[in-house]
Amino acid sequence: MRHVIIGGSIAGISAAKAIRGLDAGTEIIMISEERTKMYYRPMIPLIIEKDEIDITFTEDPLERYNIKAVYDKATDIDVKGKQVLLSSGEKLTFDKLLIATGSSPVIPDIPGINGEGVFTLRTMDDALKIKRYSAGKKNAVVIGGGLVGIKAATALKHLGLNLTIIEQLSQILFQRLDKRGAQIISNVIKDAGICVITNDSVSEAVLKDKALNSVNLSSGETIKTDIIIIAAGSKPNLDSFKKSGIKTNRGIIINENLQTSIPDIYAAGDVVEYKDLITDMPSVSALWTNAQEMGSLAGKNMSGANIKYKGFLGVMNSTEIFGIPLISVGLIEPEGGDFDVIVDDSLESYRKLVFDGDVLVGAVFIGDVTNAGIYTNIIKNKIPAGRLKEEAIKGNLSYINFIRTVPVQSLLA
Amino acid sequence: MKQIFVKPEKCMGCRSCEIGCAVQHSKDKNLFSAVLQSPPPMKRLFVEATHEIRMPIICRHCEDAPCINACISGCLYRDEKGFVRRRKERCIGCWSCIMVCPFGVITRDKEKHIAVKCDRCHKLDIPACVNACPTGALVLVDIDDMPKEKRLGLILAATKREV
Repeated sequence: MRHVIIGGSIAGISAAKAIRGLDAGTEIIMISEERTKMYYRPMIPLIIEKDEIDITFTEDPLERYNIKAVYDKATDIDVKGKQVLLSSGEKLTFDKLLIATGSSPVIPDIPGINGEGVFTLRTMDDALKIKRYSAGKKNAVVIGGGLVGIKAATALKHLGLNLTIIEQLSQILFQRLDKRGAQIISNVIKDAGICVITNDSVSEAVLKDKALNSVNLSSGETIKTDIIIIAAGSKPNLDSFKKSGIKTNRGIIINENLQTSIPDIYAAGDVVEYKDLITDMPSVSALWTNAQEMGSLAGKNMSGANIKYKGFLGVMNSTEIFGIPLISVGLIEPEGGDFDVIVDDSLESYRKLVFDGDVLVGAVFIGDVTNAGIYTNIIKNKIPAGRLKEEAIKGNLSYINFIRTVPVQSLLA
Repeated sequence: MKQIFVKPEKCMGCRSCEIGCAVQHSKDKNLFSAVLQSPPPMKRLFVEATHEIRMPIICRHCEDAPCINACISGCLYRDEKGFVRRRKERCIGCWSCIMVCPFGVITRDKEKHIAVKCDRCHKLDIPACVNACPTGALVLVDIDDMPKEKRLGLILAATKREV
């Protein structure tokens, strides 16, 4: 039996781990475009700001799970002949295939943006390039006020550059934080000395003597810059199998077993389109935790298990920005509908809970993130809060409140 | 494998386990200096109560641990004994583990800026919390001596419910 995995990040690694856990003898081949040792992708911004930091897996997954790596790009999949075509011209046959090709940065259509000094931040290599290029530079502009943009800006700020984040929407961290939460974090970022511009966009990158000089904004403003970081979101990497016949929409369409429209081909991670647990709508998740879960389930199902995937929380973020911890989960900015929104907004912390009747559907914690996982768990598993609603609002929710209602099996673990 | 078993009906809520835990994780592992340590040492388990039940909430060292799965820095791992532990130097304080732990037993060390959790006192034969418990509410049992049916019975009795 030969399992082939396209993609060498967390979805692919989790799948390989799951496959190896169920079958010691099967052959696992992983196709990866990145030649670096496998690493924790969310850590790459830290490479820019720190000189000595190891973001690779402490135990190399290739060795630990006995995976054979093929460093190449998959260019097509022959669904009938069960082969993956590689850019080297070689063909790789498979019995079961997992597509875990992840996503790539969206590059906005801006004149002048394809020259020197313009970067995206997706791979370890990107981070190293930014680090090298930023040495001795003064000014940097980040296009996009999402998490990647903010992390890139934070890293460059630590190196001493002047930073401007330009967000075309009216708030930063759109879909990651509610409006008020974003306002709080925006102030934190501004207090750290980073300029945050919302409701505006870069209309042109201006070169002078072939070097990046400045950006013009739609508002008419001009900002001098030596570096542009593009952090305008990501899109699933679908290119290599557009002709294969595997059904795609925004991402690869999978069923509850994580199978694509071709039964022996599975997909997991950022490349997938599947059900958002909150909206019940097909959605694309670009989150590490979801990719990990999907990869693990896909790997088990590829090895003969029959585990159903319920879906993911499209919002499930945790980070710290200039010393302020924040966690947001589920529906954080309800529009319309009959939701019960409870907000506790003080100097030290900001808490927001969104209830749909008795069921907690969303939570935002800024400043104090104590016990956030208890809230995540009841959101994800749609456990009715019932009488606990009041405790939840007061912030006293503890696992002990569920000890009589959670399935006994979970207590036996 | 030996695991910590909680018997809620025996818990008086005295918090000796919390103190034992914090002392074990203090610099000198001694109550008197631990009290004076600044910032104070942190406990890894939490005595909680409702009007129906009282017990310490402890890390289960889950088989498919959400905290390890969510860790983006390679800090959390399972050691050779099966315990979920930290490589402290790798923690970047992203709090992903706090976001996903359904038991709420991972906290923030605000000074060191890293996540704090139970290490099952891996260097001790008997964990400090078990050692500190005066009533037998926390006991160390060999999981092989405690078949599932027996555990199930105890859990149902302790949580006052029927199958």
